[in-house]
Amino acid sequence: MLRHLIQKEFLQIRRNAFLPRLIVVFPIMMMCVMPWVMNQEVKNVSVDVVDHDRSTLSRQLVQRVEASNYFVFNGQKPTYEAALKDIERMDADIVLVIPQDFSRDLTLGRQPQVLVAANAVNGTKGSIGGAYLSQIVTSHVNPSVEALQSKVSTLFLYNKHLNYKVFMIPALFAMVMMLMCGFLPTLNIVAEKEAGTIEQINVTPVPKWAFILAKLIPYWTIALFVIVVCLLLSWLIYGITCQGPVYLVFVLAMVLALFWSSFGLIVSNYSDTMQQAVFVMWFFVVCMLLLSGLFTPTRSMPHLAYLTTYVNPMHYFIDAIRTVFVRGGDFRSIVHQVCALSAIASVMMVWAISSYRKNH
Amino acid sequence: MIEVSNISKTYGKVRALNDVSMSVAKGEIFGLVGPDGAGKTTLFRILCTLLLPDEGVARVEGFDVVRQMKEIRRRVGYMPGRFSLYQDLTVEENLKFFATLFGTTMAEGYDSIKAIYSQIERFKDRKAGALSGGMKQKLALSCALVHQPSVLFLDEPTTGVDPVSRKEFWEMLAMLRQRGITIVVSTPYIDEVRQCDRVAFLHEGEVKGIDRPDVILERFRDIFNPPGIRREHVAVAGAEDNVIEVSHLVKAFGTFHAVDDISFKVRRGEIFGFLGANGAGKTTAMHILTGLNQPTAGTGTVAGFDIRTEHEQIKKRIGYMSQKFSLYEDLTVAENIRLFGGIYGMSDAEIASKRDAMLEKLHFTEHRNDLVGSLPLGWKQKLAFSVAIFHEPAIVFLDEPTGGVDPATRRQFWELIYDAAGQGITVFVTTHYMDEAEYCDRISIMVDGKISDMGTPEELKRRLNQPDMDHVFTYLARKAKRGD
Amino acid sequence: MREFISFVIKESHHILRDRRTMLILFGMPVVLMLLFGFAITTDVRNVRTVVVTSQMNLQTQNVVERLAQSEYFDITATVSTPQDAERMMHDQKADLAIVFAQDFASKRSGIQFIVDGADPNMAQQWANYATNVIADPKGGNVNLKMLYNPQMRSAYNFVPAILGMLLMLVCAMMTSISIVREKERGTMEVLLVSPVKPLLIIIAKVVPYLVLAFAILTTILLMARYVLDVPLAGSIVWIYVVSTIYIILALSLGLLISNIATTQIMALLMSAMVLLVPIVMLSGMMFPIESMPQILQWISAVVPPRYYIQAMRKLMVMGVSVGDVVEEIVILASMTFLFLSVSLAMFKKRL
Repeated sequence: MLRHLIQKEFLQIRRNAFLPRLIVVFPIMMMCVMPWVMNQEVKNVSVDVVDHDRSTLSRQLVQRVEASNYFVFNGQKPTYEAALKDIERMDADIVLVIPQDFSRDLTLGRQPQVLVAANAVNGTKGSIGGAYLSQIVTSHVNPSVEALQSKVSTLFLYNKHLNYKVFMIPALFAMVMMLMCGFLPTLNIVAEKEAGTIEQINVTPVPKWAFILAKLIPYWTIALFVIVVCLLLSWLIYGITCQGPVYLVFVLAMVLALFWSSFGLIVSNYSDTMQQAVFVMWFFVVCMLLLSGLFTPTRSMPHLAYLTTYVNPMHYFIDAIRTVFVRGGDFRSIVHQVCALSAIASVMMVWAISSYRKNH
Repeated sequence: MIEVSNISKTYGKVRALNDVSMSVAKGEIFGLVGPDGAGKTTLFRILCTLLLPDEGVARVEGFDVVRQMKEIRRRVGYMPGRFSLYQDLTVEENLKFFATLFGTTMAEGYDSIKAIYSQIERFKDRKAGALSGGMKQKLALSCALVHQPSVLFLDEPTTGVDPVSRKEFWEMLAMLRQRGITIVVSTPYIDEVRQCDRVAFLHEGEVKGIDRPDVILERFRDIFNPPGIRREHVAVAGAEDNVIEVSHLVKAFGTFHAVDDISFKVRRGEIFGFLGANGAGKTTAMHILTGLNQPTAGTGTVAGFDIRTEHEQIKKRIGYMSQKFSLYEDLTVAENIRLFGGIYGMSDAEIASKRDAMLEKLHFTEHRNDLVGSLPLGWKQKLAFSVAIFHEPAIVFLDEPTGGVDPATRRQFWELIYDAAGQGITVFVTTHYMDEAEYCDRISIMVDGKISDMGTPEELKRRLNQPDMDHVFTYLARKAKRGD
Repeated sequence: MREFISFVIKESHHILRDRRTMLILFGMPVVLMLLFGFAITTDVRNVRTVVVTSQMNLQTQNVVERLAQSEYFDITATVSTPQDAERMMHDQKADLAIVFAQDFASKRSGIQFIVDGADPNMAQQWANYATNVIADPKGGNVNLKMLYNPQMRSAYNFVPAILGMLLMLVCAMMTSISIVREKERGTMEVLLVSPVKPLLIIIAKVVPYLVLAFAILTTILLMARYVLDVPLAGSIVWIYVVSTIYIILALSLGLLISNIATTQIMALLMSAMVLLVPIVMLSGMMFPIESMPQILQWISAVVPPRYYIQAMRKLMVMGVSVGDVVEEIVILASMTFLFLSVSLAMFKKRL
């Protein structure tokens, strides 16, 4: 019985004008474009310099900024106001103002103040760019600090070159599962509701678990296939591979799939139209994603928001997949997340099956 | 008034209209008849300036449909076949909106729709989506008639409407004609065809004949008036046991009793006609019997199982075909059969052999790999019925199975029903066609959620002293108090 | 005119009766604003720090003390070998380790930070902050000034982005779905055959969404000002003018989609795929455009919200005069003109 129902779902997916294309194009788009786009790396910070001193020392400083491949040198401006105008037009991100008598004060042992004014509308960019420019300035004017800084070395574990893609690619798996196992089955069930064919199934002896499983298994299979493709692509295009055991990626993906499918089912059981289902789904997805630590560290959140991460399955998934994929963790290091995720998923599954009614 | 000359229209490879010419005089009720897919809807759309013809010229009130769109749209009224209301607006809001849309008000148009609207007026604050199928159709009619255009196009306005309301609707059309309004209407009902002044018979995009109704009905007798079918009443073994027994069944939605204390029995192998006006509670009662709904009160068994507690057992022993078409349109004929066979736990070999036999019988073998969505409506219905009895259920439930098809196709459908009954399958059927009611062994007529009478067609006619089922139905249904 | 008004009333009924959608429509801005305003921060805070030293002495104590006193770092453990620290990081128990060399006390040399580099941005910031704390930036020569957003609140960056996204969603997605729904249900046929001008039908359909869009705009601006304390530095009038252009742009995109799509689900997927994804990804809303490869930067040049978001960031947060956003306004206006004329030209008066 189950076999026939699953067969039917696969046939319908294949006949659909849109889905087969989505299944092929989606992972490719996901892996070829997303890692380039989802890049919060601070790059190409453009700098305006206002040099009121025009001494050798100040010119050397300017040259040092120009030479740094971190910054894009936008040009010298006569006054701070002129430079500020550049910032207002968003042509420049940071202004470096070297005061008059900069080199004379320095030789006299005074502490001349160099102004670094960063556009902080985008806080991350402002602070990283500003900090980096300050470092250049400090080490330039104060060789002893440079000496001290040289004593401090930094080792970045797991991601030596601070490649942002390493950070983002595992998170993309979460998106794949969300779309394939959450959105698509939901739309499918609501569509059957609207077409009235679900009534026909409801008068047959098909038990509700069979109907639900038959809806989900095709999408689970497709999602796993898509994940395999994504893993391959990430290796082929970026040379990024999973550091931990690969089977854990699939274990995590399956548990997450279970959660998203149950969640989607609950939404479809309570909505009458496609528009409603999509909007409700979208709302929860956005909240869960933003609070999951996918983009920003959960630990920086205020306490109240941080508490929500305890019930946010996406948070456990993102944490665990990064541990496995980036840090090379094994099962022992993600036991806690897997348990939490499975617990949430099972609760949702029970809710989903009990809220689906064949008989009113 | 309306002049159509040599109109042709092609969609892709399908030629929907081929060299169609006709003319309609002012103040005439002109009928368009023909099987599903004959091109009636396309013709309506061209006349309403919604579609452009590929060839030919059409004029409405002297205005060309291609160039003088604005003038025509100012003068015509149109009710499309799948006219749909705004489900989330109330009855009154819908009517008001359509009245304003056509530049009139509800007060001005009230008289012309009174006959039908008064039946649903009490529900004016209810949302259209919460009305039963037939009530929606009545509201749609009211919306289409609330303004008085000089030309009115009605595309199958009465499909799914009970006989009493259809009569009232046609009385309104007659009134409109007296005011000089030209009406072009398509219909699958023979009694309605007879009320037209002239009819055009369309078949596969071509006009086969235009004449007075009786002439057309006579000329195409084999389509419109197929010979009635007679059934030898086969005595099925154990015909005395009841497969459906229901007593004092009630289904209430809030204070509203959709099904109000009904009791009846259906014997094995019987064809039981379950009749009633729109909104009388037929569909709800059927949902309870098929395990889709729980009754509020009362008891009953279907195939020996309790409808309250053993509905999953019942589902194994019944087949069901709903008024909404119930096969998957994006699967082929063979795939649908395999799916539903599999659902009822039949083995692959069993499915394959029965499928071939069934397709053979329906002369469908060459279409086994066609998508169901691409088949004509009449074929789909026959197929859906065959699939519903594929697993040899004890009872098959049919909810208005033959809506919108011509008499010849409906007759073929009933041959299938007789065939199934001959095999000992009990048939429980609802319909709005009174000729089909005559085909049933026994019928019940529901009014206001209660069964107002029950018996063989002959008994009913005799007891109520009416000439035919149509009159029986009208006699009983006119006693209805509630509109829903 | 009477037809027009009754049309608008009918359309408003559709919107108001769908409670769940309404709830989402107004709940979404509020929740998003709160999330972005308070929860989504990249502040360096609560960094779990492990101290790695074989013996504690005064000098190391001094450095550790300084880290602990700063608001950024929490000293969670002291271990004796770097391997132990690494294991802790591996198990997600620590983010940063500070390793003192054996001879740290005598030579005051040799500090190494081991940082969990999984999140590159944060890793870099943690290392920067830690270095600064230890190197004692007091008496430095740099006066670092954060313009427009001294507390570096991410809300400043995101409020314009949320506006860009939600207005597009409400206007484009909702209008296209509501028009396609009429097509799908067959009511469009009746509307077209009625004496009401087709253009009037479309305008009447769009008006309620226009009102809704302004309501959402105002809600977001009020929340930004009074809940998130984002200053509305620029001229309110111009903020509304630019938003109006953008709203009309979004409505014409919705109209365009409704001309192409035949079913609701198609309209839904088209708006999601063609509008929403590019907006979130390529408009500079979350991910800075200048960090993308050149080819994606070119693609982003045709994404309208990019200009809207940039204009709003300038007008709202930076408070520049309108002269500095002329470029964005001109681009938005010409895009609006283009889409509006294309969608009106494509609008079918027949089926």
